Amino acid sequence: MKNINILTDKLDRSVPPVPGLPKDVNFPSFYETVTSNGITVLVIEDRRLPLVTARFVFKSGAYFDFLHGAEKSGLASVTSEMLSKGTALRSATKIAEETDFLGATLSTGADFDASYVSCYSLTKHFDSIFEIATDVIRNPAFLEEELSRVKEQRLNSFLAMKDDGDYLASRAYKKGIFGSNPLGSSVDGNEKSVSGMTTEDLVEFYRMHFTPDNLIVAFVGDISPETAVEKLEKCFADVKGEGAEMQNFSPPPLNEPKILLTRKEGAVQSSLRVGHTSICRNDPDFVNVSVMNTILGGYFTSRINKNLREVHGFTYSARSALSSHRYGGDLSVITEVKTDITANTIREILKEMNMLRDVAPDSEELQNVKNFISGNFPLQLETPNSVATKAINLKLFGLPEDYYSTYIRKVNQLTSEEIHETAAKYLHPGRLVMSIAGDVEAVSKLVSEFGEPEIISDNQN
Amino acid sequence: MKLRPAEKILTSIPSIEYVEHTLENGLRIVLSRNTKIPNVAVNTTFHVGSKDDDPNMTGMAHLFEHLMFEGSPNIPKGKFDEILNNNGGDSNAYTTWDSTSYFICLPSTHLEVAFWLDSDRIAGFGITEEALEVQKDVVAEEKLLYVDNSPYGSVEEESSRRLFAGSGYEWPIIGDMEQLSKAGLEDLMEFHKRFYVPSNMVLSVVGDIEYDETLNLIEKYYGGITSGMKPGKMPFTAEEISSESTGIIYDNIHLEARFLFYRVPEIGSRDYYALSIISGILSDGESSKLVKELEYERELVHEIDTAVYGFENAGVFAVSAFALKGKSLDEIGKRVDHALEEIKAGNIDDSDFQKVKNRIETYFSAGRQSIVGLADKFSFLKTYYNDCGRVNAEIMNYLDISKFDLAETARKYLNENSRVALNYLPKK
Repeated sequence: MKNINILTDKLDRSVPPVPGLPKDVNFPSFYETVTSNGITVLVIEDRRLPLVTARFVFKSGAYFDFLHGAEKSGLASVTSEMLSKGTALRSATKIAEETDFLGATLSTGADFDASYVSCYSLTKHFDSIFEIATDVIRNPAFLEEELSRVKEQRLNSFLAMKDDGDYLASRAYKKGIFGSNPLGSSVDGNEKSVSGMTTEDLVEFYRMHFTPDNLIVAFVGDISPETAVEKLEKCFADVKGEGAEMQNFSPPPLNEPKILLTRKEGAVQSSLRVGHTSICRNDPDFVNVSVMNTILGGYFTSRINKNLREVHGFTYSARSALSSHRYGGDLSVITEVKTDITANTIREILKEMNMLRDVAPDSEELQNVKNFISGNFPLQLETPNSVATKAINLKLFGLPEDYYSTYIRKVNQLTSEEIHETAAKYLHPGRLVMSIAGDVEAVSKLVSEFGEPEIISDNQN
Repeated sequence: MKLRPAEKILTSIPSIEYVEHTLENGLRIVLSRNTKIPNVAVNTTFHVGSKDDDPNMTGMAHLFEHLMFEGSPNIPKGKFDEILNNNGGDSNAYTTWDSTSYFICLPSTHLEVAFWLDSDRIAGFGITEEALEVQKDVVAEEKLLYVDNSPYGSVEEESSRRLFAGSGYEWPIIGDMEQLSKAGLEDLMEFHKRFYVPSNMVLSVVGDIEYDETLNLIEKYYGGITSGMKPGKMPFTAEEISSESTGIIYDNIHLEARFLFYRVPEIGSRDYYALSIISGILSDGESSKLVKELEYERELVHEIDTAVYGFENAGVFAVSAFALKGKSLDEIGKRVDHALEEIKAGNIDDSDFQKVKNRIETYFSAGRQSIVGLADKFSFLKTYYNDCGRVNAEIMNYLDISKFDLAETARKYLNENSRVALNYLPKK
C-alpha cells in the first residue's frame, strides 16, 4: 500500500525550520582544596534547592580485591555495604532508624575503581546525617552477625541473577575477555568468595584503603565552601593513616576470539554481549573512541540500533557501550533477540563493526553525532550531583583539569579520517568474544559458522 | 485533629513558576521557564492509554506510540530521530493504562525543530505498511524481553486479569501479540483520527524559553490542526471481587515470591494519598515495618516492597515479597497480613508516621530538578486534574492525612476477601 498522507491544516510543513546557533555551555566552576591530612575536598555549590549531598569516594574498588587473596572477589563491595551495618556508637537498626527519620539517604557501595559512602538530606537535617555518615566511615564495627546477614542476602542475589539473561551473558563475556585479570571478576563477588569472607578480611581491606590520602569528599548543593571545609575538618582532621602505595597496573591485553554459551532455563530470547577489551578511562584517545562508539551504537540513530531495530525489527533495544576503568576497559554490543535470529543478528553486528573499521564515516553522519553529543551534554550538567560526578571523575581517573571544559570542542574538531584511524586502531571484529545466554542447544547449532562454541557451566558465578 | 505543618515546609522549597494557555482548537499548553541549562523539554501527552484499546485489539495504544516515530506527511520513516539527533536532541515515549506521553529534549535554540517534528505527526498521518510491520516485530521483541524471558514477567498480566475483569485495565499495556499482528493501516488511521487530536492533548514546554515567543511558535505549528472531537470516556466497569482470587504460577525462577494486589481508589483521591503513606510505613527505607521485620530481623525475604499504582479510574495497592531460598511463602504471607492488620487496628507509631512525612518532604524537594521530569509532571497534572498548581501544592495532600485516616483507609480496602494473591514457584 502507498503512503497515505492526509493533512488537516494550511501551514507549509515541508520546509524544516532553521535553528539558531547553540548557546555556549561552560562546565561549572567548583571549589577545590586538600586538607592537612590529605583529603581532597570538592564543593559544588548550588543554592536553588534546600538540599545537600556529601559524597565520600575512596579510590580503591573491586579491582583491588585480588590484593587480599585469590578468592576475595567482592571484598570492596561487602566492606562498603557493612559500613552502615553497625558502628562503635550505633547498631545497624539505629543507623537505619535515624537516617530514615531525617528523611535522609545514606548509601554505600563499590565499583571497580572506588568505594563510596554518600549521604543526602534537606539542608535543615544535613548536620545530623553528616554526623551519621562520619560515624559509619570512622567507626565501623564489622560485626560477625551482620556479615552473616549480608552474605546470606548476596548468595540469594546470585541465585536470582541466574534468571537474568543479560547478567549471564555479561558475566561470561567479562570472564571471556579479561580472563584472570581483576576486571574479569564480579564486583559483587561469587558464591565461593562471599561464602568464605570473614570480618578479618573486611577489617584488612578497610585499614588498607579507607585512609585520608585515598579519599575525595564532594559536597554538593545548598552549602558554602567555608561551611563544607569547616565541617570536614571538624569530623576528619584527626584521622591518620596512609594507604599502601599502589603500583600502576597495566591493562589486560587484547583478548582472543571466543563463542561462549550460557544456559538460561526456558529462554525464548538470546541475550548477547559481543565485544573485546578496550582502553582505560584516562587514555588520551578516550574522546575519539567514545565518539566512534556513539556512531556504532551510542544513540538512537546509531548504526547498530538503526540496523537491528529500525530496519530488521530483530530487537526492542540494541546498543554498544564503551566501559572504561582505571586499569582497563571494554567495548561491546548489547542486545536481546529471538533465539532463531541469533546468527542473523551476529552477522549484522559483524557487518557494522567491519564497516566502521574499514570505511570512514561520511561528514554528514559525523556532523550528526557531533550535534547529538554537543546538544545533550548540558543535560549531564543539569543537577549539582551530576556536575559532582564529573568533578569526582577528574580526580578519580587523573584526567586533565580542563577535560570537561574542552570536551565539546574536542568532539567537534574530530574529522572523518580521525574516526577512521580510531576505528582501525581500536575496533577488532576478528577478536570478538561472542557471549550468548539462552537456549544453549538451539543456539549452538546456529552459531557454528562463527567458530566452535564453548558451553559455560551454569553453576559458576 | 490534623497535623498541618505544610505551610512552614512550603516556604522552604522554592515554588516553580508556570503559565497556562489553551488554543482555539482545544490544545492545552503549560510553559515553565528554567534557564539552568540552555536546553528545553517538550512533552506531549494524549489522553489515551491501553484501557481505551478495543478488547479485540489490545496493545493498540502502545503500538501506536512506537509508530509515532515512524513517519508523518513531511518526515519520512527513519528521519524523525535522525533529524532530532542531528539537532542535538533526543526523544522517548511511554504508554500507560490511561495516557501516552512523548518527549523531546534539545538545545533551546532548536525548539522550533521540535515543534515542527512533533506537530507534523499530529496534523497528519504518514505511517507506511513497512513501518507498521517492523514495529510489530519490535513490540513482539519488547514483550519477549520484559514478559516472556523475564523472571516474574507475567505478574502484570496475571494480576490485571483477576483484579480488573470486565474493564479496560484487565489486559496488559503491551497487549495481545496475536490480535496485534492483525492491525492494519486503516485501524491506525482510525485511532489517530479519534485520539490524536488537540482537544485530547496537553503540550508542556519546560526549560530555557521566553513565554511569548514559545506561545507564538506553538500557535504556528499546532494552531491550525483541526480540533477533532474530544473522545468520550467509557464508564469504568470492573467486576466486584467478593472473595480472594489466588493463583500459583510456575516460572523460570530460583527464588519463590508472593504478590498481593488490592483494588483501591483512583489517583488524586484522599484514599490514594493515605495508601501512599501506608506503603511508606511498610516498605520505604531499611527501618520501615516490613523491611525491618521480614528482611532484617527474621531473614525471611530477599526483598520486600509495597507500592500504590494510581490510574484514572482505580488504583492498586501491591505487595511483592521475594523469599530467601528455603524460607516459607506461607510464613511470609502471614507476617505481611499481620502488618496490614496492625495498620487497620490503628497501631501506628507516631514516629513511623512522622518519618514517612519527613521522607515525602525530601522527595518533594528533590523530585523537581530535571526539565524532562517537570514537563512530564505538568502534562500529567493538566491531563488528570486540570490543575497545575499541584506542582507546588501536591505535598499538602500527603501532609493532610492523619493517622486516623490511615487506619480507616486500610480497613476499607486492604482486605483479604477483595484481593488477588499470586505465588510464584520455580518450574519443576
